Amino acid sequence: MTLPSRRALSRRGFVTAAVASLLVSCGGNQTDRSTDDRTTDDRAGAEKTGNSQSPAKAAKALGRSVPVRLQVPAIQVDTPLMRLGLASDGTVEVPPIAADDKAGWYEHSPTPGQVGPSVILGHVTVGSYGDGVFHHLSRLRRGDRIVARLENGKAAEFAVTDVRTVAQAEFPTKEVYGNVGSPELRLITCGGPRTGDGYRDSVIVFAALSSDSTQ
Amino acid sequence: MRRTVLSAIALACTAVLASTVPAFADGTTPTAAPSTAPSQAPSEAAPSAEPSQGNEPSQGTEPTVAPTPVPGDEVSVVPSGAPDTGEVSTSTKSGSDSGLIAGGAAAAFAVGGAAFFVVRRRRATGE
Repeated sequence: MTLPSRRALSRRGFVTAAVASLLVSCGGNQTDRSTDDRTTDDRAGAEKTGNSQSPAKAAKALGRSVPVRLQVPAIQVDTPLMRLGLASDGTVEVPPIAADDKAGWYEHSPTPGQVGPSVILGHVTVGSYGDGVFHHLSRLRRGDRIVARLENGKAAEFAVTDVRTVAQAEFPTKEVYGNVGSPELRLITCGGPRTGDGYRDSVIVFAALSSDSTQ
Repeated sequence: MRRTVLSAIALACTAVLASTVPAFADGTTPTAAPSTAPSQAPSEAAPSAEPSQGNEPSQGTEPTVAPTPVPGDEVSVVPSGAPDTGEVSTSTKSGSDSGLIAGGAAAAFAVGGAAFFVVRRRRATGE
């Protein structure tokens, strides 16, 4: 009497163990798959880039006021902005790696709406925290709206003129930071395929102040 | 009989341990990866870590270095190089490694279980 029940028990135990093993292995693989999807997503996004660069010069420049918030409805971005300076090696600072990732405005560039290229940076991924605030930046298209909320209560509204994915080794410093003579905006993040410890490319969104900026 | 069973169980346990321990030994290497993460680019990552001390906007960072401000330029100080705005998840690597670990452990567990089951069955049939 006891023998069959013991056998049944051991059989049941074995089946449970086998099922548990299968589940554990499947779980491990799923982690990989999700990251693969993300990589494919990035790649697909990086390929979709606009080309023409024709800034709408109709808008009137705004006065200096530090940006406090950035909204990009097309990619569901609504983030507070921090101020970023220069790192000790001469590169631009980037926002901290944190769960509540936010974008940052480069404080040596004009404030949004002033004449010149106002530069805003954000992460595409924040390590173990997952997607960064600019994860879908490469999905922007020409004409998409970008709103920078300013400290003085006004808002500078921009329209995307170009989205480029360029190799980081050939970062177009002049095109990003060079004089433009009109109020423009640059949104920058990383993109393209992942290399050992980062990304191969940079994604740069060029935008120009649109005529309907809130006064 | 009892000795056979016990030795079989001992053998199974040894097999499980033998196959799992190397897997975890392997797995601890990726855990060391986070320690390589900070050192991955001392020139780039270290400065980006500095402002992260507080989660607040970093305001006092400019005095360290000044790549000569150019008066009259719209961007007064032009930074060098591309910004490092993509922190790759270390879990990407450890994800595949944890898959290996899990797979190895599962296989070892299955082998151990099978051995145990076979021995019990033999015992039941009275060998």
